[in-house]
Amino acid sequence: MASSTPKIEFITERAKLVADREQTLDVLIRITPPDAPQATNARPQLNLSLVLDRSGSMQGEKMVRAREAAQYCVEQLLPTDRISAVIFDDQIELLIPSQPAARKDELKSRLAEVFARGTTALHEAWVRGGMQVSEHFIERAINRVLLITDGLANVGETNPDRIVDGARGLAERGVSTSTIGIGADFNEDLLMPMAQAAGGNAWHVERPEDMQRIFAVELEGLIAQVAHTVSLGLVPSDGVKLSDLLNDFELTETGRYQLPNLQAGAPLEVVARLRVPTQAAGTRRHVLDLKLGYTPQELRAAEVLKQSFEIEYEREAVVNQLPCNDEVPRAVQFLMNARARREAIRQMDAGNYAQAQSVLVGASRATMTAAQCAPAASAPLYAEERAQLDELESSLRDRAQDKMSRKRLAYQDYSRRHGKERK
Amino acid sequence: MKGALEKLQQRKYVGVAELADMAARLLAEARLVQERGTVSEVPDERTVRYYLTEGLLSPAEEKQGTASVFGYLQLLQLLAVKNLQAQHLPIRKIRELVEGRSERELERLLGVDAKPANKHAALSYLESLLTQARVAPPTPPPPKFSPSAAQSRAVQSAAPQTTAQGRVTGTWERIELEPGLELHIHSAYRPPAEAKRLRRLAAAVVHVVTTYSHKLTGKRGR
Repeated sequence: MASSTPKIEFITERAKLVADREQTLDVLIRITPPDAPQATNARPQLNLSLVLDRSGSMQGEKMVRAREAAQYCVEQLLPTDRISAVIFDDQIELLIPSQPAARKDELKSRLAEVFARGTTALHEAWVRGGMQVSEHFIERAINRVLLITDGLANVGETNPDRIVDGARGLAERGVSTSTIGIGADFNEDLLMPMAQAAGGNAWHVERPEDMQRIFAVELEGLIAQVAHTVSLGLVPSDGVKLSDLLNDFELTETGRYQLPNLQAGAPLEVVARLRVPTQAAGTRRHVLDLKLGYTPQELRAAEVLKQSFEIEYEREAVVNQLPCNDEVPRAVQFLMNARARREAIRQMDAGNYAQAQSVLVGASRATMTAAQCAPAASAPLYAEERAQLDELESSLRDRAQDKMSRKRLAYQDYSRRHGKERK
Repeated sequence: MKGALEKLQQRKYVGVAELADMAARLLAEARLVQERGTVSEVPDERTVRYYLTEGLLSPAEEKQGTASVFGYLQLLQLLAVKNLQAQHLPIRKIRELVEGRSERELERLLGVDAKPANKHAALSYLESLLTQARVAPPTPPPPKFSPSAAQSRAVQSAAPQTTAQGRVTGTWERIELEPGLELHIHSAYRPPAEAKRLRRLAAAVVHVVTTYSHKLTGKRGR
């Protein structure tokens, strides 16, 4: 099947700008990935390594659920996919060498024998899993390591920056990494940046019973993946200034914004805040040039999609009569709330709990105000967002929940900015 | 630009003008266009001097008479800055991307590095990560402590203990004594049994911490 291209839309709150004044313009850029190939057997081939923590802290329900989730994963694979499994504490064991996912019963029974013990040699285990994938590297397949842990790297390489750099380096060579952190004790400042740098997803499993669902979402995402190595370049035209990119994406080495992989059925929303100059009514202005770089799953070479955005100026009275698109202020508010969550983490880390709470209260209030201007149809979305913020705020009151609160904040911030499904 | 750059790795430029000329020539060949009015299209002497004072270019490592002698690193830095400016990045971001980067990293930024085939690249990369982790343990073993000669010194990595197969035996465990202070213990280490030796160990720790705190207050005093 020929590769089709993503669709790009530029959405503004109103279709025209008010004439004769300099103003701030929020542009919602929606990138809709093309549909995945129709036939189910045309999904990308998977080459996976499960890297599973079995250190002492995993003992009990976490280990049971992780085992079940790994077995579930095997169950979902096609015989043409490849799977391997590495289990680790302070020792690293290659439980299942990379092989086609054909003899499923045998694979599952080997996973059933994993028990918890020992400390956490996270880095070397990840390297070993990566090697299993790399030795059997498949062009055009999704080559990925799934790292599942509840703990801190405390044996071998333990420096988060170096581990994240390592994961980024591996992704540049075609093998991505997703991380699944379980419970309240893993290091979110390691696992989330690691997945982000490594072209994968970061998941937080609060309760062991959620494990299988997260595995399912990760696998669905892999199967629906239509492009990877996605980057966005935005060049404002003369006189226009790009004052903010609300998603706060990392920059690539070439100075573009690094976007998550494109998955069919999951549009990506990016909000750019621009300062545009004054212009007369009835005239048009070229505002922005966009370049989207991506590598389609079925191809090796990168493609670039270019598009530019223009808008018309009109008298204020006319503009005010135009219909209002609630999607833009909502996207802005939710991304601002993501920033509030990050600010709350900073305050928490500095020991200012009252301040962290008040940041969240402020975000919740701003969301309520925004909801009042919004059409009734989108009220549930605002309500859900407020409920999450309020829940975070109240969990901050209970100091025993600190570790979990911090993870919730970090995870929700990450999900918002990357346009991932809410839990 | 890639072919042209390969031949320039050993080349030196005497004085700012020579460096600016070479960069301008390469940029012209690569047809790099600066669309924004405020940015100079090709680097001239003045812009190079400005980048030097701003720290975007590393200072020259040698001199010939009064002239500074620049090399491949400064050439790559200059090309990278111009390239990123053409992509409308503010100086602040450009600094993040360019400052402190190695020649290899700058080549990659400019897209002129060699990219080996995927399969071997991923695998040999991971092998190199493993070797690095073994040859220079990232949680380096602390230097042997002698309280009498307790001046601070750079932590040196001990030679890894290897078996016949070349595998490292033993692991390091990190224990946080308090936020910011860790103790690293090798699995081969056996703690002393006698109280006297234990006390000596405790004294050694106190000594390290107080020496460190003196060093800090000394720094602040300056």
